[in-house]
Amino acid sequence: MAYLDINNVVKRYEEHTALDHVSMQVEQGCIYGLLGPNGAGKSTLIRIINRILAADEGTVTLNGKKMTDDDIAQIGYLPEERGLYKKMKVGDHIVYLGRLKGMTKADAVSSMHWWLDRFDLKKWENKKVEALSKGMQQKVQFIGTVIHRPPLLIFDEPFSGFDPVNADQLKVEILALREQGSTILFSTHNMSSVEEVCQQITLLNHAQVVLTGSVDEVKQQHKKNIIAVETTDAIETNPAMFTILPPEAGRRATHIKLAHGVQVREAIAWLNEHCHLTGFTEVLPSMHEIFVETVKSTKTADNNE
Amino acid sequence: MNKLRLIIAREYMSLVGSKSFIIMTLLIPFLFIIIAAVPVGMAWLNDKGSDVQQIAVIDETDHYAAALHSDDMYNFVIIKGDTTAAYPIKVVIPRDVDSTGVVNIYSEGTITPALVSLIRNTLSDTIQNAHLANMGIPNLQQMVEKAQVNIDVRSIKLSESGEQESSTDAAMGLGFILSFITYMFVLMYGAMIMNSVIEEKTNRIVEVVVSSCRPFQLMLGKIIGVGLVGLTQMAIWIVLLGIIGTVAGSMLGLGNMAAAGATTEAMAATQDMGFMESIMKQVLTINYVPIIINFVLYFIGGYLLYSALFAGLGSAVDQASDASQFTTPVILIMLIAFYAGIACAENPTGPIAVWCSIIPFTSPVVMMVRLPFGVPTWQLALSIFLLFATALAIIWLAGRIYRRGILHYGQKASFGTLLKWIK
Repeated sequence: MAYLDINNVVKRYEEHTALDHVSMQVEQGCIYGLLGPNGAGKSTLIRIINRILAADEGTVTLNGKKMTDDDIAQIGYLPEERGLYKKMKVGDHIVYLGRLKGMTKADAVSSMHWWLDRFDLKKWENKKVEALSKGMQQKVQFIGTVIHRPPLLIFDEPFSGFDPVNADQLKVEILALREQGSTILFSTHNMSSVEEVCQQITLLNHAQVVLTGSVDEVKQQHKKNIIAVETTDAIETNPAMFTILPPEAGRRATHIKLAHGVQVREAIAWLNEHCHLTGFTEVLPSMHEIFVETVKSTKTADNNE
Repeated sequence: MNKLRLIIAREYMSLVGSKSFIIMTLLIPFLFIIIAAVPVGMAWLNDKGSDVQQIAVIDETDHYAAALHSDDMYNFVIIKGDTTAAYPIKVVIPRDVDSTGVVNIYSEGTITPALVSLIRNTLSDTIQNAHLANMGIPNLQQMVEKAQVNIDVRSIKLSESGEQESSTDAAMGLGFILSFITYMFVLMYGAMIMNSVIEEKTNRIVEVVVSSCRPFQLMLGKIIGVGLVGLTQMAIWIVLLGIIGTVAGSMLGLGNMAAAGATTEAMAATQDMGFMESIMKQVLTINYVPIIINFVLYFIGGYLLYSALFAGLGSAVDQASDASQFTTPVILIMLIAFYAGIACAENPTGPIAVWCSIIPFTSPVVMMVRLPFGVPTWQLALSIFLLFATALAIIWLAGRIYRRGILHYGQKASFGTLLKWIK
């Protein structure tokens, strides 16, 4: 059984359904991407996992057990809408968040020192939060999320508000936490970060799961049988086998789309005979393309209803 | 429970450590003193600083002018013959004053009421005495004085423990003070809770916090934390006022006494000397134990009820400036309670007093006024039961609103939205 198992969760509001029988399995130790356009229901699902909201139907199990209020100590949650008490001192604030998650005072204090050291914020410990720059506040926020070393980490749009340098540092920290055994659930619409760090994804649209699987599987499913071909001479055409796609600015290789039923190796063999072939790669769609395509197609399906 | 304690401690420390708390706590007692001291000081300065007023008295009867004695404020000059001399104020006692009872004052500017009453009282007494003397009956004046009676009404409360002199004035004053304290406390610290809730929302910290505890715990922690802040502030005020009072009393003791003496002179002369004594006696005879127990109960109940209301309503708005649409009805109810309290002081057994002291939204304020006059046990029990039952119900309802409200941004919530959230 998956570490975090979301089974047929339904959440209805007065005017609309936010989650419509959503299921999702997150394996232990993986980085899982929860994707979807705005209003798809990502934040509602995350709030249900965090027990901020209650599901109308369905279950959420963690480690094989149905989740209870006590389990929130096992989660570190960085919400999309986040902030800090501006008037509190940095050290006190981190310790407060740690203790709210059930740490003892001594534990929270020593952990706080370790993390401040790691992020080079030691001299800010007794400063008020409002005295910190935005970037430093984001780091304090991150420390507050992970201070109790939770086995499950949930980040909702973690990179929003981070400059590229800090975003990279955050990425390093997140990967390090995974190395230490944490399971990480990401919610984002930043597709490049999904390709870089996520192994599994689920795409939500209009309250429903429209796509799920490992990043590699999803890409294979959505490939369009396009090959990037590099030759020293002109490519001979063979309409029975492939069509040549129009060139695009900034692209050196020629993209050819294979005709239905033609295998990649057949096309390569034919090209090798008829042209001077110097290189070829199968073109897989980017997560960005898959995201846009899937969201658009579900939208048209909705409109046709 | 542990989390609740953490939340209370954070709320308490952050408020008590804030600059505005420290400034308010130190400033208010001084403001209080200034407000109390300014009129006394002004009156004193006014008396000291003004020139002695020159008043010409033209007595056509030749009998009564001598009764007007000059003092350090007025100098009465009796003028005979030349009545055209320039004086800013002229008092003319006409020849036929005995029959008409009319005296004229001519002046260039306006005349103070104090001067008018001084002349009226003095001349009335003098002329009355002269009339009595003219009747030629020996010792008539003494006889009249003997016949004058000042009725002193003492109310005696009949109770199981026997007759007891009850104390309307002092008890009413005490009830009113307690009711006013409850009113001010609920308004001040209710607003503080609402601001604290809105601040967490605008800070966007609230979702981080409620991922670690129940929203209800956060709300309850706030209510209790702010309540403790309020009690701390009141305790400091009482101590500060005590200190300032003692110091000011010992420093300005003589001057104040002199000033107070001057202004109360007239009053003291007409008052029964036993008045202060009887007030003291009244203060001593008030049965404090039930009043204090009930005050604590109503204070806690009223605070819980209204603070939960403020917390729930605060959670529904994004900015403090949007809150007025929700707070206006609450403040209106509190105002009604306040005025019902005043009505109750005039007639503590009237229907307004009885009903408003049982209805939970007004009872914390009204019952405190009613209590010193004696309230049937069943009414008291019903009122306290209703207050706490309603307070718990409001806390529960506010918790439902709060849970949804703190995560609700953007579109302004209406009362209809709140009802949906409760469901």
